[in-house]
Amino acid sequence: MKKSEPMSESYYYILLCLAKGANHGYGIMQMTEKLSRGDVTIGSGTMYGATSNMMKKGWIKEIMSTEGAERRRLYQLTDTGRKALRAEINRLRRMLENAEEV
Amino acid sequence: MAAEYKRSFRMYSAWNYMQEVEDLNKLSDEGWQLVRGGCFHSKFVKNPDIRYRYQMDYQKIDDMARYIEIFREQGWEYVNSTFNGWHYLKKLYDPALPDEAYEIFTDRESLREMTGRWTRFATILGVLFGIMAIIEAFRVITAPNIPRFIQLFTFIIESGLLLRGAFIMRRTEPGQKLRHDSLILGIFFACIFIGAASNIILDDMRPNLNTQQQADEVFEPIIENRWVDFDVKYPDNYYLDLMIKADEPLTFEIVNEADEVVYTETGTDVDKKDIRIKLRRGSYGFRMSVNSGFELACSID
Repeated sequence: MKKSEPMSESYYYILLCLAKGANHGYGIMQMTEKLSRGDVTIGSGTMYGATSNMMKKGWIKEIMSTEGAERRRLYQLTDTGRKALRAEINRLRRMLENAEEV
Repeated sequence: MAAEYKRSFRMYSAWNYMQEVEDLNKLSDEGWQLVRGGCFHSKFVKNPDIRYRYQMDYQKIDDMARYIEIFREQGWEYVNSTFNGWHYLKKLYDPALPDEAYEIFTDRESLREMTGRWTRFATILGVLFGIMAIIEAFRVITAPNIPRFIQLFTFIIESGLLLRGAFIMRRTEPGQKLRHDSLILGIFFACIFIGAASNIILDDMRPNLNTQQQADEVFEPIIENRWVDFDVKYPDNYYLDLMIKADEPLTFEIVNEADEVVYTETGTDVDKKDIRIKLRRGSYGFRMSVNSGFELACSID
């Protein structure tokens, strides 16, 4: 099996923020800052690039929100995306365990 | 009161885009707000009551509505795009916010992706100019003339500057700016202009003459003086293709205004290509003498 490439911080946090349900760009950005206690921010250029690339990879997909009067784009994790996130978490966990062994 | 506008014709190289962003910010602080950004000129409107911070992005946007939405969510307003794929964005300046609030690329990977797109474009273009320089170099070696020298020179400069730009862009660090870049950009555009001008003007000024004569039988010797005239508008190497087929030796000559022979060839069977002849400015003509049936074709360029 091909070894998966390490994910960029932005990809990782975007997927993490979508794990519990669909969200819009601003929601992802806020949640990322909250989760990382302000360590990680996702600027608009980074957000557009990351979501575009992950949609091409099939990790996330775009849906239109139906609640409220305003139609907004929501991003939703796909099964492939969930797998990729899980693989990355496992990779990070292994790395942490290795650090603890030393 | 009517709005007050101004235009700026200052150009920036792609690898110096951060300098452009900084200058836009400075202009905004001085009350000039960007209306339309462009490669060759930008338009500003006077409004001293607001301050913006600007950013630039380089990419082919698949979904413009989504792009604008993602930027709007964080307070960015899309200004416009240039024909070659640069986008201008602005955000109202709030002194209370940290500098990071005005970054659009917040990790190294995404900034690299953006600069990498331009690097790729410039590298391909630079290599293409390089290939053209090599082709031109071969032409200069085999048959040198002034327009080819100029072409070769401009292709080398263009290729070099593009590859240098790609190299700089690839190594761009956040916040990096280059000083005195206008000169380089000026040289680049001057080369493009000179290359095109030499191609159009100098090439067009060459004689580019193609002519032939023939006779099946000749009863008395033919001496044709200046059966074709042509002008040389600038001193250079010119190239003659000559084909002679005759029963008795035929003499072909090129003569100048004073009827001095600058080139001569005699034979019954000649087929020469790209004979290099140095010609000065002036008027020239072909001369031929033969006393048998013949066929003659010549061209000069």
